[in-house]
Amino acid sequence: MGGSGSHLPRDLLGEYQELTFLSKQEILLAHRRFSELLPKEERDRGFLSRLPRSKILTLPELRANPFRHRICQVFSTADDGEGSMSFEDFLDMLSVFSDTATPEIKSHYAFRIFDFDDDGTLDKKDLENLVNCLTGEGEESRLNPVEMDQLIQNILEESDIDKDGTINLSEFQHIISRSPDFPSSFKIVL
Amino acid sequence: MAGKVVWGPEPTKQVWGSSLGRHSPSLFLQLPSNQTLRFRGNKAEAWGAALEGGIESSVVPQDCVVGEEEEEDQRPLKELPLCLEEKRRLRFLQEQAASRLSGWRLWRVEKQRTLRHLRSQAGTVMSYVVMWKSTLRHIEGHFGTGIQSYFNFLRFLVLMNFVASLLVVGFVIAPNAAFEALHLNWTGRPNNVSANASCVHYDPSAHGLVSYFSYIMDLLSGKGFMELTYLFYGYYQNSAVDFASFSYNVPLAYLLTAFFYLLFCLIWIVQRSVYCLKHSLVSEDASLGSYSNKVFAGWDFGLMQHSAVQLKHKSIRYELRMDLEEEALRRRLAERTTRQRATLYILRGLLNLLVLSLLGGGFFCIYLATSYSQWLLGSADSPVKGQYILELLVAYLPSIVITVANLLIPIIFGVIVQLEKYPLSFEIKITLLRNVFLRLASLVVLLISLWSQITCSGDPKDSNCKDCGYSHLFPCWETSVGQEMYKLLIFDLLIMLLVMLFVEFPRKILVTYLPSCPLLKLWGQQEFMVPSNVLDLVYGQTVCWTGALFCPLLPVLNTLKYIMIFYLKKLTLYANCRPAERTFRASSSNFFFLLVLLMGLTISCVPALYSMFVLPPSKSCGPFRGEPTMWNTVSNAISELPLTAQEFLEFVGSLAFAVPLFLLLSILMFYLMALAGSYSSMVKGLKGQLRLEGQDKLFLVKQISELSQ
Repeated sequence: MGGSGSHLPRDLLGEYQELTFLSKQEILLAHRRFSELLPKEERDRGFLSRLPRSKILTLPELRANPFRHRICQVFSTADDGEGSMSFEDFLDMLSVFSDTATPEIKSHYAFRIFDFDDDGTLDKKDLENLVNCLTGEGEESRLNPVEMDQLIQNILEESDIDKDGTINLSEFQHIISRSPDFPSSFKIVL
Repeated sequence: MAGKVVWGPEPTKQVWGSSLGRHSPSLFLQLPSNQTLRFRGNKAEAWGAALEGGIESSVVPQDCVVGEEEEEDQRPLKELPLCLEEKRRLRFLQEQAASRLSGWRLWRVEKQRTLRHLRSQAGTVMSYVVMWKSTLRHIEGHFGTGIQSYFNFLRFLVLMNFVASLLVVGFVIAPNAAFEALHLNWTGRPNNVSANASCVHYDPSAHGLVSYFSYIMDLLSGKGFMELTYLFYGYYQNSAVDFASFSYNVPLAYLLTAFFYLLFCLIWIVQRSVYCLKHSLVSEDASLGSYSNKVFAGWDFGLMQHSAVQLKHKSIRYELRMDLEEEALRRRLAERTTRQRATLYILRGLLNLLVLSLLGGGFFCIYLATSYSQWLLGSADSPVKGQYILELLVAYLPSIVITVANLLIPIIFGVIVQLEKYPLSFEIKITLLRNVFLRLASLVVLLISLWSQITCSGDPKDSNCKDCGYSHLFPCWETSVGQEMYKLLIFDLLIMLLVMLFVEFPRKILVTYLPSCPLLKLWGQQEFMVPSNVLDLVYGQTVCWTGALFCPLLPVLNTLKYIMIFYLKKLTLYANCRPAERTFRASSSNFFFLLVLLMGLTISCVPALYSMFVLPPSKSCGPFRGEPTMWNTVSNAISELPLTAQEFLEFVGSLAFAVPLFLLLSILMFYLMALAGSYSSMVKGLKGQLRLEGQDKLFLVKQISELSQ
């Protein structure tokens, strides 16, 4: 295992295995990757210290992802709201994005990632943000306002079952459950 | 009708939605339906406020544990959307609760935990066994799930072929080879049919000096020395082998292996397609969810490369715009005048005629080529005898014609379909359907022309067929069919290699080094086309199935071929290709691939079953010489069984069993259909109710906010 792997006590490893969808190898790999990002002097304390968001986002698995800031926000348990992550937050994230995670938990977190203003529903503003993330941020790559309006209206028409103008978690999970591609595309593996 | 209902309350909804947007989020949060969400971290505070401070938030886990006690066997902790810290606390509480349990329940909880642990261990072990896992993941990271689905399909085929080859090797090839090596006594079976001398004459081995070149030719065409190996039907003996107290009936083993090989493939594919169907059979209205699907499930979170991400942005943008445009187009189409519509339909009709004539022409060419090649090779005084290159060319003529037809005609189809002005999604589907038809039908045409050669077009009184029941030009017709399939398999692989070497690599080099040339710019870098590549695979697999009865080693060869293809395709993917502009949906296609594969299996079962049950096997070679049909071996074997077993098998094969079974299955089907119907009407009802509930909610929220002001 080498230096960094040995810092993970055996009972903690067992606990992580029980509480996440990750296998032993994946947890050890995650620990190694996480430790590599820590500054040298903090490496000994391994899973106690937090990584700032800017450091987490240097991971190639996240670097190119348009939702990277939201992912950090959602999985961070820090009180400062800056999206810094502890090792356990990191594991939480990998667990949700792993192959074996259930579609329910995946869709739950997808909902939270897409809920840009953290108010518990996807409203028009959230959808607009989401579409912009999908099509790319540049001015020329965005859809024009007419297209955007039409698109959001279409989405709401399809997904907003109770017609209250927003999409709540159960509506979202319902629509996601009918999308067979989702579990395979909502996946980040180290 | 449903449309009206949806559109009815639209204007009011708009007003409500916008007026609520300003002051109601906190009210929304208090609704019971929203309290299922458990937030945490910095958001938990915002939620705490909504949930009346910290009291509630400390209550939530407790609540959860109480609920948990009853249903913890269903949901392991890791499936709860909580952070590790809270899961750990929950686990602690659970353990405390468990320590208060005793006896039976404690044992049950323990057992649950052990089972879960064992299952995760087994999963870890299994993950080592999975072939090419990291390769597939890498491909996914660079090119997305669409292209990965092709490689996934290829891996499935490799696995299926591998297991099938184990079956074939284990029951046919290994026993035969072992018996031959051990010189066990072969008990010959008496020929119970007196055969004409001209039918029995069969001697494919080469006489005199065999040149080096003819060796290569034999290797490619399956003739000469290749014909007398375990590769082909003709080499197997029609005898049983006795050792110790047990007799191994070679013909029976041969036939049953081929039979179970096909059955096994069928079961595996059906099992897999049911699994895929469950995933892709989105409930009642699949087309309605298309926008939400594209937006909510459109992003590939696994993408790592910057260029791939840019491309994904582009393709999503393109797709969304396309869909919006298509919708607008459809609205415009509805307003088209009768005259315009009539012109379009006439145009489409004409183009479809063109498609049909193209297909017909292609099939006719294949038919001609097969007859011509078989005639040239069969007749003793053919002009090509002795000229190796020419002979090889003639032997490969059917394969060449099939391949050329399958390379050229799809290109023409691609041009034609653009003139037909179908909606985009339908355009892709119909092109694919036409290509599938072309692929599989060209194989069928080849088989039909072989059949008409072998059985003199089904006319037993023909001068060629009078003596043996099949054409005496084919002393061992099964081997001839096997050779044809063997050649198709080899040629398929060769063409793939040649295309890669002489088209794909030069194209990449030209595009890279001469980027300014306008013609090359138009051609561009190659895209990895998933559908056509999958079609190639299905075609190869169909050839393998068709030939398996006549050439038992074909599954083994096919396994090797597919393993090679996997690495070659991976090479060309990384070296030459850029991801496709229009993304290919992995889910819908997975099922479609399997459906086409199932079609291929059905097609290849027809000649196999036909030769098992109807055609007389050749009298000069093979394990069934002297039998009226191949299946006769099985009947003979059954007649040697004990009487009860015989009666049972006879009953299973009789009408008295089949008719009730058929009726029973029909009843079951009707029951399931009724069930499906009732479910869909229930879904509709529930949806209506939900909408009403939503309106109620909005109304109440509005009332409350008015009152509170």
